[in-house]
Amino acid sequence: LWETVTSSFASFIHAAQPEHLSQTVRQRSKRMILDSIGVGLVGSTTRVFDIALRYCRLYSSVAVSSVYGKPGVKLSPTLAAFTNGVATHSMDFDDTWHPATHPSGAVLPALLAASQMLPPNTKPNGLDFLLAFNVGLEVQGRLMHFSTEAHDIPKRFHPPSVVGTLGSAAATAKLLSLSSAQCCHALGIAASLAGAPMANAATQAKPLHVGNATRLGLEAALLAARGMEANPLILDDIPGCSGFSAFYSVYHPKPLSAPGEHHEFLLEKQDIAFKRFPAHLGMHWVVDAALSVRNLFINYAGSFSPSLIRTIVLKIPVSKYINRPFPSSEHQARHSFQFNACAALLDGEVGLGSFSESSIHRQELRELLDKVVVEHPEDNVANFDKMYGEVALLLHSGDVLTGKCDTFYGHWRKPLSKESLLKKFRSNASHVLPEEKIEAIITLVDNLENLMGACLVQVELLLAKM
Amino acid sequence: MWAKTVTENFAKVIHGLNANQLTDQVIQRSKRMILDTLGVGLLGTSTEVCHKVAQYSKIYSSDLSSTIWGHLDFRLPPLYAAFVNGVAVHSMDFDDTWHPATHPSGAVLPALISLSEALPQKKKISGLDLLLAFNVGIEVQGRLLHFSREARNIPKRFHPPAVVGIMGSAVACAKLLALDQLECQNALAIAASYAGAPLANAATQIKPLHIGNAAKHGLEAACLALQGLQGNKQILDMESGMGAFYTDYNPQTLPTLQSYPWLLEQQDVAIKRFPAHLATHWVADAASSVRRKLVESSENLLPLDKIEKVILKVPEVKYVNRPSPASEHEARHSFQFVACSALLDGSMSVQSFTSENVHRPALRELLCKTQLEHPPDNTPSFDSLYCQVSVMLRDGNAISDCCTTFYGHWRKPLSKEDLEKKFQSNALGILPTEAIEGIIETVYNLEKVEDCSVLSTFLSGQSPRALPEKLHFL
Repeated sequence: LWETVTSSFASFIHAAQPEHLSQTVRQRSKRMILDSIGVGLVGSTTRVFDIALRYCRLYSSVAVSSVYGKPGVKLSPTLAAFTNGVATHSMDFDDTWHPATHPSGAVLPALLAASQMLPPNTKPNGLDFLLAFNVGLEVQGRLMHFSTEAHDIPKRFHPPSVVGTLGSAAATAKLLSLSSAQCCHALGIAASLAGAPMANAATQAKPLHVGNATRLGLEAALLAARGMEANPLILDDIPGCSGFSAFYSVYHPKPLSAPGEHHEFLLEKQDIAFKRFPAHLGMHWVVDAALSVRNLFINYAGSFSPSLIRTIVLKIPVSKYINRPFPSSEHQARHSFQFNACAALLDGEVGLGSFSESSIHRQELRELLDKVVVEHPEDNVANFDKMYGEVALLLHSGDVLTGKCDTFYGHWRKPLSKESLLKKFRSNASHVLPEEKIEAIITLVDNLENLMGACLVQVELLLAKM
Repeated sequence: MWAKTVTENFAKVIHGLNANQLTDQVIQRSKRMILDTLGVGLLGTSTEVCHKVAQYSKIYSSDLSSTIWGHLDFRLPPLYAAFVNGVAVHSMDFDDTWHPATHPSGAVLPALISLSEALPQKKKISGLDLLLAFNVGIEVQGRLLHFSREARNIPKRFHPPAVVGIMGSAVACAKLLALDQLECQNALAIAASYAGAPLANAATQIKPLHIGNAAKHGLEAACLALQGLQGNKQILDMESGMGAFYTDYNPQTLPTLQSYPWLLEQQDVAIKRFPAHLATHWVADAASSVRRKLVESSENLLPLDKIEKVILKVPEVKYVNRPSPASEHEARHSFQFVACSALLDGSMSVQSFTSENVHRPALRELLCKTQLEHPPDNTPSFDSLYCQVSVMLRDGNAISDCCTTFYGHWRKPLSKEDLEKKFQSNALGILPTEAIEGIIETVYNLEKVEDCSVLSTFLSGQSPRALPEKLHFL
């Protein structure tokens, strides 16, 4: 029974008992406990403690922020942001940018929660809200340009947890009209709350990365608003003592142009990709390629007949966390080139239902998965701007049918039409909201820059009301 | 209008951007994003993961609450009690330090005490349960630090409490909650996704939050694991797991439980005598000793005008090299400041870092005469570093002293009396005497305490006379 390091830790934690504590250990640890308490008590007289405390007291009373789709439920602002952020990334259905991150989920929940916190007469209007949202996106994009590492599909830290946290802090700071110095500290505080390892991608914990990014960024801004101070050089290169550079091995920070004539928002030049089905972005290329070859196959054979297929060859970039021959959970399935290709081949489409338990474990799907081999052509770079997906069916007859996709529909080079985007929204929202509310939200967002302050509240309420 | 640093520049731009700069393209694209995100979020509320976090978050809407140390007047939800008390512990850099380097207790104890007050079904926790959970939290931190050679030296990239501290808090809470093995494994995985804070925030006001957040997020990770949330089962094994925080990473399995060799058994912690970075404690001892040689009696003032130069031979630790600290946080992270303070006053204390003392002219004058040297044999490791303080006088004489092990270091631990004195001095004015003595007694007899909620009661400042029955030892 080969034990992993991780499971050895888990068994230790679980199995340790008081009798395992030696005398020395007891004695030393009691000394530590005593000292720790004393130090904490004297520490309660400090200014930093004061700020932290005043911040936390927000949460001892009324919960004010709405939770998507849950009528009557209110939570404290940061926890509402957290919950809504988790919801946003729960199925890997949210937007993706280049360089790679999921920008909106890290920013929007924080802004909604923050605007609910504000007293009625200071509520932001739609344009303020839109501006803050864009500041949050812009900061994320600019930060990613500090490192060439960020251009490729990530390997070490999950980008939303790195840049997303700072994006959320920046957006919230903007919405709350913090001073320039406070904006600086919000970034610094956020940096100390950033960073989650890639290994939790393709697990149930991954959605927390976005939930925490939006929540902790909000927290950072709220702390900065109350006077908390951090390192004012957090984004700069500090030799011998890492700031934000801690998250990258190559780091070249660059200043942002002042807003006005010279500044151009990154979103202007680089659009976002919207997903058509809830899975990792990389899956979208192989699905389009698979659908294309499926059509060829149906023309060839009259119908989709798996028995005619000897091997399915996937030509994909190298990226360990999305290369899974036999995924066993929905989270793994959303991060599996093989699974998505086979589901597309079998069903002619990939949608919400493709990732249910029964769908994942279907016999015919498993049989198809058995036939898959992957190849990593050198020219297929692990980069959302450059990669492609190719699916080849090697038939028993000797014939080979191929489908290739350079740019899937929904990618920034081939954006979803307004109709397709609305269709996706209506389909998603209909799971929890009635039609009138759905249409009202569409109208409100479409008119966002014209909304007065009070109207923005309506968006929040619509999200939560039955 | 030009900012001098990238960071300042970002802040200026964030602050200065206004709606006029939004172009149509940007407006249009971002509205599409907002709409899509809302839809995706609404849909996502039907997922299992979302259901779990919502259940978890609702805890904070009820009247569950925990003690804020030193306060009887109000309480906070457990997560925030852990946060606030954790910040308190590290607020002055006065808490313990271990080898390899981290601040182990502050990340664990506040979370445990907070949690013990808020357990489901008001379950009773004994002192021994608390002691066990505490030690599991310490042990795991130590073991993780041994996975990388980088960890042996004073850090440069990530602040260790934010990396291993949160893991320690998660496992300690998992232990107290009696999670099953799989849940413990998930607690580790979930905690990893909260880990990591850059070192650049040391010596600023935010540093204490590294400990506060470690405590809070570790508790959260354990609670989420209890709700059934799952993460990567090999989080400690993978380079893209905990390995993400290190450049060299070699995870190893733990020894078997049979006569378990706790790290704390072989390697004690250092307890600080004054609230500043550990490396300054060597400097303080050497400087105090030099002062005694320079000045006949402690009432006499240091002969400032006779001093030409002060040379400190210290290891190279950039974030503790501050020739002219401007805030208390910087002063706590300055070799130079502590050396000069100790030379002027004879010893260091909590008072050494007040604003008046940080800015006094005599100190500033001495700071101007102070310089650092980094001998190549002086390695930046708390186990092997040394500090030499040399005062060069105008008459050509030089007085030196070198400290290899300060009093409070693990090689020369504080006596029981001095540990108690530190505690009493710290708690004075915040808790009544009976509570102070009550805590000392309770902790010394912790493994015999039947119900450790008595500790929380003392911590809130409540008079023990009101609850005689709680002081019941097994």
